[in-house]
Amino acid sequence: MDWLEEIALRDRQSIHAILTSKSIDDSATDPRLGGADRLKRIKEQIRRLRFPRLADTEDAIRAKIQELKLHPEIRVSVPPGLEGGQVRIEFAAASHAELKQLTTKLTEATDNASMPEIFDLLAGQTSK
Amino acid sequence: MKPFQPEELIVEQGSEASPIYRNLRRALPSDVPFRFVGEVSRRIGDGLSITDRFGAAKKKLYLAKHKGEFFKKCPGSDGQVCCNYFVINFASNCPMDCSYCYLQEYLADNSELKVFSNVGDLIDEADQVLRKHRGMFFRVGTGEITDSLALEPLTGMVGELMPYFVEQPNVLLELKTKSDCVDSLLDFDPKGRVVVAWSMNPQRVIDWDETDTASFGERLSAALRCQQAGYRLGFHFDPMIEYPGWERDYQAMIEEVFATIDWKVLSWLSLGVLRNTPGLKRTMRERFPGTQLLTGEQVLCPDGKLRYFQPLRVEMYRKMVGWIRRAAPTVKIYLCMESKEVWQQVFGYAPACEKDLGNQMASGAESAWL
Repeated sequence: MDWLEEIALRDRQSIHAILTSKSIDDSATDPRLGGADRLKRIKEQIRRLRFPRLADTEDAIRAKIQELKLHPEIRVSVPPGLEGGQVRIEFAAASHAELKQLTTKLTEATDNASMPEIFDLLAGQTSK
Repeated sequence: MKPFQPEELIVEQGSEASPIYRNLRRALPSDVPFRFVGEVSRRIGDGLSITDRFGAAKKKLYLAKHKGEFFKKCPGSDGQVCCNYFVINFASNCPMDCSYCYLQEYLADNSELKVFSNVGDLIDEADQVLRKHRGMFFRVGTGEITDSLALEPLTGMVGELMPYFVEQPNVLLELKTKSDCVDSLLDFDPKGRVVVAWSMNPQRVIDWDETDTASFGERLSAALRCQQAGYRLGFHFDPMIEYPGWERDYQAMIEEVFATIDWKVLSWLSLGVLRNTPGLKRTMRERFPGTQLLTGEQVLCPDGKLRYFQPLRVEMYRKMVGWIRRAAPTVKIYLCMESKEVWQQVFGYAPACEKDLGNQMASGAESAWL
């Protein structure tokens, strides 16, 4: 509710107008979604409205991570709210051979141009 | 700036022998009533909402003996780079009313506007610490839980402390303010031991969120007068507020500051973005329901404070540093309550530890005079 009030204050519109805006209304009326998923989607949309630039930066980072074309066993993530400025890289190996394969893939991903761009986005360098 | 005048002066018995009492009686107009009480109660405005209680507390001035320690290490913020600063609290709460003020939460249960009468105890305590550690250099501020100078025309507190502090070889006293109350300072020779520092924001932010403070122009004029009287200066661009067009306003502010002030007399500049906590936000919502500060893109950080999300605030800091560096290439700039990661992203380095930054600040201040 705080987020809705803050959006209303910032955008000078009523909470009713926010809740009936297209992005939220689309989620609320999407026939493909069950009740829980619908609520989750509505919350996501409200968060996007409340934190538009944070959401845009998160989207941009997500897109860059996809461009890395990582091995499915390697997971790259950034902290919630992008606080901390660090990229977290996780993988698990069941053998030495698998470990070597994953680290090779990771090294290839590190050389991908998208990797430094992720760090740039985390450091507020949005112009690149 | 409109001079502060309390509705009433309430004096705790035993404080009437204090020089602060004498100064108050001399400075306050005769139509301001005063009364003596046995002990200052913490029950001002019980039954009122936070809005009324905190607002009401700013209207009456108490003079009471401080029973705890005066001289303390600045608490900083958990996990953040600390500048190894010490604080002396000679008063509690502030007559000004900034919407974002953390005292609304920090002093919520102890919100009386109080000035402490036992100046002799304060000086004795400071003297014990400073004498015992002559090999250490102390940066000491008086503006942690009050404004250092807003009450000065009434209390003359700083005027009472100056003769002692200007003679100490191992201290730098920082007077931090949003006021223009510097008249009483101008008669002293600071001897390189006093930094007068202003918290600065563009006039637009002052109009929105810094009620009863001096205007930007008044603060800058007061800084110029202090510079001309031989004081070192500091500026705290804190809290920086992000809003559409903030860059234009902040850049213009910095240009005006450096067109007026000789940056070589600056001991330091600090930068900090708006910080609050979930609890403070609730109070702000109650006391200042229209403030746009509630709508910033702040996220909860590991130390429990809300700040603009990191990429956004790092970009703000970097722009500010760029504008400052253009005018003052080697002035000492530090970030207030920020993590090593943010320091690294802004400056390309982070202090190794709190002593590292404290020493840098102290040596910068000392070398200007030695």
